[in-house]
Amino acid sequence: MSATESLPGLDPVIHAQARLRVMVVLTALSTGDQITFPRLQQLLDMTAGNLSTHLRKLEDASYVQITKTYQRRTPVTYVALTESGRRAFADYTAALRALLTPPTDQPRG
Amino acid sequence: MAGDDTSARLYEDSPLSAEESLALIERQQQEVHRRLGVNAALFYGPWGAAYLLGFGSVFLTYPSAVPLRLPGGLAAVITGVVFVTAIVVSVVRRARAGRGVRGPSRMVGAMYGWSWTLGFGAMYAVNIGVTRLGLPADAVTLLYSGSALVLVGVLYLAGGALWQDRFQYGLGVWMLVTGAGSVLAGVPGNFAVLSLAGGGGLLLTAGYFTLRPPRPRR
Repeated sequence: MSATESLPGLDPVIHAQARLRVMVVLTALSTGDQITFPRLQQLLDMTAGNLSTHLRKLEDASYVQITKTYQRRTPVTYVALTESGRRAFADYTAALRALLTPPTDQPRG
Repeated sequence: MAGDDTSARLYEDSPLSAEESLALIERQQQEVHRRLGVNAALFYGPWGAAYLLGFGSVFLTYPSAVPLRLPGGLAAVITGVVFVTAIVVSVVRRARAGRGVRGPSRMVGAMYGWSWTLGFGAMYAVNIGVTRLGLPADAVTLLYSGSALVLVGVLYLAGGALWQDRFQYGLGVWMLVTGAGSVLAGVPGNFAVLSLAGGGGLLLTAGYFTLRPPRPRR
């Protein structure tokens, strides 16, 4: 990865505008909740193809879980954050804050 | 799909600084909280207005220190309109908030919503039963307003505990104090207490939830 694409120490899967926005919406849901693909698309104002592309990358990293099911014979796709996804987002925001905090004399953990 | 890949790459091609990234997270969080209906101000506002105007107009049908006196019919219309509006707004908001979401939080929300319906159903059954034994008119008034406020207070306490919201819990305590205070005030003072203390507490809560989300950074 080149220096212009990603800051050091930041998860490159999350550190991209579109996927970051997806992660924010999913972390806003209560633990264990799932959201339908169209509702997620509406909240993010993204095209279906664009959202699918990014969800696939997040799914490959095991950050989201995609469930396909049927409701009254209509296929419905649900998206949910996984436990590791929730942790990855917390780590990512912690890393951002650490980058913005001036270094101190404290030993690094 | 080539078009989608291009737009996906467009997003990737604009690298974010740490500041930009944090700002984006904050902006998106506010947006999603607003659109998922987590903002509670829209819920408390109509109820605060209903208490203030509804109970206030009933109070003004009695002779009081206030130089304004409302006919009973007008007060009944005002009370009906404001409380029906508050109920409709709450039901619509509750239905819209969880659109497209399934999971544990929906279950919690549904159980909490039914707690109101079941609680008020049982309260009315008890009050009607007691009233049938024969009570003075003022006692009936105080029985209804007092028991309703205690139930509302307890349900806010439960809501505060469920969603770990100290402000909502505090509102519950305030409504319990208001309910007990209204009964001690007697008729028609109870309506003034319900209007000003009850409505005031709810409107204050609406104001708090309006101001609570941090403003977007410029």
